[in-house]
Amino acid sequence: MIVARTVQLLGFRLRQEVLEWSGSWWFLLTLVVQAVVAPLNGLFVWSAVYPDDPAIGRYYVAIILVTLMTESFEQHTFSERIYDGTISHELLRPQPVVIGVLGTNLAIRAWLTALGAPVVLLAGFSLSAGFGWWPVLLSLPSVALAAVLVFLWTFLLSMAAFWTDRVHAVVGFGSQLIFLLGGTAAPIGLLPDPWRGLAGASPFWGMNGLPAEIAAGDPYDGSIAAAWGYQLFWVVVFVVAVWAVWRAGVRRYTAVGS
Amino acid sequence: MKLLRLLGASFSMSLRRSVAFRINLVFDVLLAFAGLGTAVAAVLLVFTQADTLAGWSKAESLVLIGTYQLITALRGTFIDPNLSWFPETGVRNGKLDGYLLQPASSLFLASLSLSSPLALIQLVPGLGVLGWGIVSAERPPSVAGLLGWLLLVAAALVVTWALSVLLACLAFWASKLQLDVFYHSAWQLGRYPTDIFSRPLRLLLTYVFPMALIASVPSATLLRGPRWEVMVGGVAAAGFAALLAVTAWSAGLRRYTGATS
Repeated sequence: MIVARTVQLLGFRLRQEVLEWSGSWWFLLTLVVQAVVAPLNGLFVWSAVYPDDPAIGRYYVAIILVTLMTESFEQHTFSERIYDGTISHELLRPQPVVIGVLGTNLAIRAWLTALGAPVVLLAGFSLSAGFGWWPVLLSLPSVALAAVLVFLWTFLLSMAAFWTDRVHAVVGFGSQLIFLLGGTAAPIGLLPDPWRGLAGASPFWGMNGLPAEIAAGDPYDGSIAAAWGYQLFWVVVFVVAVWAVWRAGVRRYTAVGS
Repeated sequence: MKLLRLLGASFSMSLRRSVAFRINLVFDVLLAFAGLGTAVAAVLLVFTQADTLAGWSKAESLVLIGTYQLITALRGTFIDPNLSWFPETGVRNGKLDGYLLQPASSLFLASLSLSSPLALIQLVPGLGVLGWGIVSAERPPSVAGLLGWLLLVAAALVVTWALSVLLACLAFWASKLQLDVFYHSAWQLGRYPTDIFSRPLRLLLTYVFPMALIASVPSATLLRGPRWEVMVGGVAAAGFAALLAVTAWSAGLRRYTGATS
């Protein structure tokens, strides 16, 4: 009953946000550019190093798509509401605050994926990056888990707004970790030891690189179940962390303005 | 001279405002080092797999990152606090009306009167990486190379300012058009040698959105020595960009009728 109601509320919120963002398509296009620049840089750099390796192109085309589908902006959509106090309205509503945050997140991702699809297709055709249907299908659950991981990670860092007004610096630092250890700066197979081991065990690989590797068909050579298990483990860790920080943050927020 | 005094006074006021929030200083220091550390790490990763990146050695790439960071820090200190989100903060909120009533150049007031001194912290690690690149180079830069680098960095700063002004000027014709995210994203392309990009993108980044002039050209000049055609081209590009910015600003002001009209 609670789950059905939550899903219904999320559906309403998602529809509302999709419609609201439809008026800002020009701004959404600039967000697409923002999302694809780092993977494109990686693509150009590694294509210059390995000009004859088609796997590089295929991997980075997948990274671009995964990035578009998992982008999160809670430092803008959520933290700003803490700063201007409008989160109080959400706290008074008979529904979890996270539903609004999640609805906005999903709406922006849907728009970014739709508007960024031509970039992905263009990159794919120009690099002659062929994908197999089976690896792409297998990667879908991994992409979904990556989307959950990126949301939880960004939401977790965005809650720093309860304590500091430098939330953009905090989230920016988190994004740099994803860039470096998540497989965007370089496929983690190209990292030197011990960084390769560290990246492979960190949650960041599961946010970008792992689903891209599965979709590209290589170089991931483990079992799919192990990949999903690794991502699920980090989802559970982040859910617990988000829950704990949210409780502490809301207790802190009650003091603001009182 | 009057404009320089105004710049000094506004920097002094901004500095006093900024140091009142010391915890922000800690965050900015951490982010400056983390951001540059990520950029350097991404390039060093390449050199674990190859000796050169599109013809650029490790030392040259480090000089490029240091130069890029230097210009990004100066942009973040003197230009961004004024022109970021200009359609919203400058035009729709009416701040420009205030500038137009003051006895100084409106272009100067709108583009350089505010500053963010804490962003200058990025200079420290940037200069460190620049020094690292110079020390790692096979041979030290010549005096001519150093002078050429200084001249081209100055030209790059003028181009950076002009690009920001041109972007802000769009607000006079399309006040809802926000291209700041696009501009800051495209800026990231300057972090790597333009030689890694495909030919159409390289031409775009050289002649239309001249990111090549921001870091690649000055860095190549520092370590490989100056070439007169590059120096003349860089100075001419800066002059042309500044002229274009001033012209666009004047044309925009003629069209502007006030925030509430």
